[in-house]
Amino acid sequence: MQSNDTRMDESSTTTLGDQVRRAQAGDEAAMRQLIVSYQNRVAGFVYAITGRSDSVEDLAQVIFVKMVRALPRLNAPEQFESWLFRLARNTCIDHLRRQKLRRIFTPFAPEHENVPEPDGAVDSEELDALRFALAQLRPKDRALLALVQEGRSHAEIAETLRTSVAAVKARLHRAREHLRQHYTTDEH
Amino acid sequence: MNTEDTAWNELGAHAASRLSPGFADRVLLEARASSSPLLVAHFAMCAATAGLCLAAVALYRSGTSAADEARNLAGWSEIAAQTQELDQGL
Repeated sequence: MQSNDTRMDESSTTTLGDQVRRAQAGDEAAMRQLIVSYQNRVAGFVYAITGRSDSVEDLAQVIFVKMVRALPRLNAPEQFESWLFRLARNTCIDHLRRQKLRRIFTPFAPEHENVPEPDGAVDSEELDALRFALAQLRPKDRALLALVQEGRSHAEIAETLRTSVAAVKARLHRAREHLRQHYTTDEH
Repeated sequence: MNTEDTAWNELGAHAASRLSPGFADRVLLEARASSSPLLVAHFAMCAATAGLCLAAVALYRSGTSAADEARNLAGWSEIAAQTQELDQGL
C-alpha cells in the first residue's frame, strides 16, 4: 500500500514535527509539502475503505481540507501521522454512513446498486481479488486493516478506536481471517 | 513479498494515480476559500438580514396590536355610552 521511502521512520519524526510546527505557524510551503508527502498514502487508505476509485480524489480533498483547518489545534506535532489517519478514517466512515442513509431515502434501482469501477480501475488479478475480499468486510474492519497497512501500531489504533489493545488484536485477527477467506485470485 | 502484499501495493498505487496533478494546490485553495473573510462577511450579511426581518415583523405586530387596542377601546366606550343611555331612559 505504500513504499518504504515514503514512510516516516522514527529518525524522521523530528523533521516531521518541525515541518508540522512550521505549517501550524502559517508556513504555506510547509503545509503544501505535508499534503504532497501524504496524498498518495491517504488516497490508498481511502480506496481500501471505500472500494471506489472514483471517490478517492474527492474524499482525499475533504480529508486534507479538514487537516489544513484543524492543524493549528494539534497539540502534539510528533503525532501528526497518527492524527491524520484518524481524521481520514473518520471521514471515510462518515462518508459511507451518509451514503447508506441516502440509499434508505432514495432507493437505487437494482442496476444502480453495484456500479462497476470505471474503465481501467482494476488492472490486475491480485488487485481485483483484494478489492473483492475487502468488499466482503464491514467498513470498520476495512479501516482497521488499512490502518495496519499504514504502519499504525496496535496502541495507536486502540487510541483511535477508543478501545483496548487486546480488543484491537482480536478484531484484527478476525478481520484478517475474514479477508483471507475471501481473498482468492483464481475464483473470479 | 506474497500476492496479498503485492495487491496492497497495487491498490495504493492505483489510488494514487486517481489524484490529478495540482492536488495539493487545489486543497490549499479550497481550505483558503472556505475560511476566507468573504465567508464570514456572507454569514454576517445573513445574520443582519434575519435581524432586519425580525425587527420588521415585531414593528408590524406592535403597530397592528396598538391599532386593534384603540379600536376595541372605542367599541367598549360606545357600548358603555349606550348602556348608560339605556339606564337613564329606564
